[in-house]
Amino acid sequence: MDAVLVIQSLISGIMIGMVYALLSVGFSLTWGVMHVIHISHAAFGLLGAYLAYSLLTIYGIDPVVSAAASAPLLFILACGVYRLLIKPVTKAKEVIVASMILTFGLAIILENIMALIWKADPRIMTPAYASGALILGPFYFQHPHLVGFALSIAGIAAVYFFLKKTYTGMAVRAAWQQPEAAQLYGVNLYRISMITFALAVSTAGAGGISLALLNSFEPHSHNLWLIYLFLVVIVGGVGDIVGTALAGLIIGTITGLSMAFLPFQWVNLVTFGFLMVFLIFRPHGLFKQGA
Amino acid sequence: MLRVDNITVCYGRMEALRNVSLEVAPGEMAALIGGNGAGKTTLLNAISGLVPATGGAISWEGKALKGFAPDRICREGIVQVPEGRKLFPAMTVEENLVMGAYLPTVRKGSREALAHVYEIFPRLADRRRQLAGSLSGGEQQMAALGRALMARPRLLMLDEPSLGLSPKAAAEIFAIVRQLNQEGMSVLLVSQEVLETLAITVRGYVLENGAVAMEGPSAALREDPQVKASYLGL
Repeated sequence: MDAVLVIQSLISGIMIGMVYALLSVGFSLTWGVMHVIHISHAAFGLLGAYLAYSLLTIYGIDPVVSAAASAPLLFILACGVYRLLIKPVTKAKEVIVASMILTFGLAIILENIMALIWKADPRIMTPAYASGALILGPFYFQHPHLVGFALSIAGIAAVYFFLKKTYTGMAVRAAWQQPEAAQLYGVNLYRISMITFALAVSTAGAGGISLALLNSFEPHSHNLWLIYLFLVVIVGGVGDIVGTALAGLIIGTITGLSMAFLPFQWVNLVTFGFLMVFLIFRPHGLFKQGA
Repeated sequence: MLRVDNITVCYGRMEALRNVSLEVAPGEMAALIGGNGAGKTTLLNAISGLVPATGGAISWEGKALKGFAPDRICREGIVQVPEGRKLFPAMTVEENLVMGAYLPTVRKGSREALAHVYEIFPRLADRRRQLAGSLSGGEQQMAALGRALMARPRLLMLDEPSLGLSPKAAAEIFAIVRQLNQEGMSVLLVSQEVLETLAITVRGYVLENGAVAMEGPSAALREDPQVKASYLGL
């Protein structure tokens, strides 16, 4: 095997893996903290990508700026979605099932709205630096890929910082680990759930923009993204940020390497074969903590 | 002063508490005793606002509290150390303590409060970076009590603080609670260690099947033949 090709695809894999990780972090949090499996998470990510695409093509605004601008926008939108749709469902007996069905419908609605607005053709994000590349010896990195990678690292770091260092972030973790005690010390579960959900959706937006810098996208792309979300969260452990980041890297590396060396039909076979083998040995994720 | 007046709590169609009344005077240490399933924890949770009380009233320093959410109750200075500690297991000891001062009203002085808690429990200071889930039972109870102190309670409600602890660790916890009370904190102590509890409290309530079966000065309850027979095995 060609060593340069191996290393090049390894690095590409790491880059896409980090992007998967940013897309998955919020999915993992809503699942862990609220017991809501948010099927439309990736669709919101795709919505972020489309918004950035329009801002870029119409106004020439850089996707990184759009990511920063769309985060609060998606946050507010998600607060509304939470109040209107998610909150009633969290009172259901089977929160996980009810939330899956509800947000599955929401994903379909979002997909069709995006198809109406942006048409079904595949799009690519072409910022000013789209054709540039960083060449390091025999290695070659397209600038948009580097920007998407950097954006996802920044996004994950921000989520990690929020959860570790802010009172609200600590309340999110506390509410997840021990909701009753969290309430006793003043945590309002309803407010924390809304913040968790909205934060998750806004990180999905940033993740969607990152991914759109690496790959082309169309209105139904979120279906494939969703499968990767599940993959990353199951490997990383539900609600575990560090695990999610690591799982993103592992899965990115596997797909990166298999894309370079295997016929296209084999890529998903290898990736999901890995998931099945992984689940047999580590049913609770990388750091087996159960709940 | 805390006054619970004739409250009833139902879980579905089951009455967990029926017309319960109770009082804790300022600076007083009161005991709430009774067997398993008598409704002791439900009563604390009703005061804390975790479970809704249907009839009656709950008041604190003349203010009506019934129907308040738990965060409002905590803001009033009524703080519960729940049964089984209920620490945040995947957070460090220090993070657990800091979460005790989550409310904006107590956040400001939380640094001093933290230093004070470490003064009371030096062992928690040694373990500050350890995950709460990895502590021993006694240390967990210290952390749970420390977390409650971070909320700067004026009424501290303890639910079975000695459950599952070694006699030495339990004595340590009781000694600290007693000291806190002597410094002016009102305490409502729920415990199955009836003899010990009645020895350190002034007044006691005996809960049976969701209703107050007996009440009076702790010293009198300790001599009561019925209490002796049911709870002290004498």
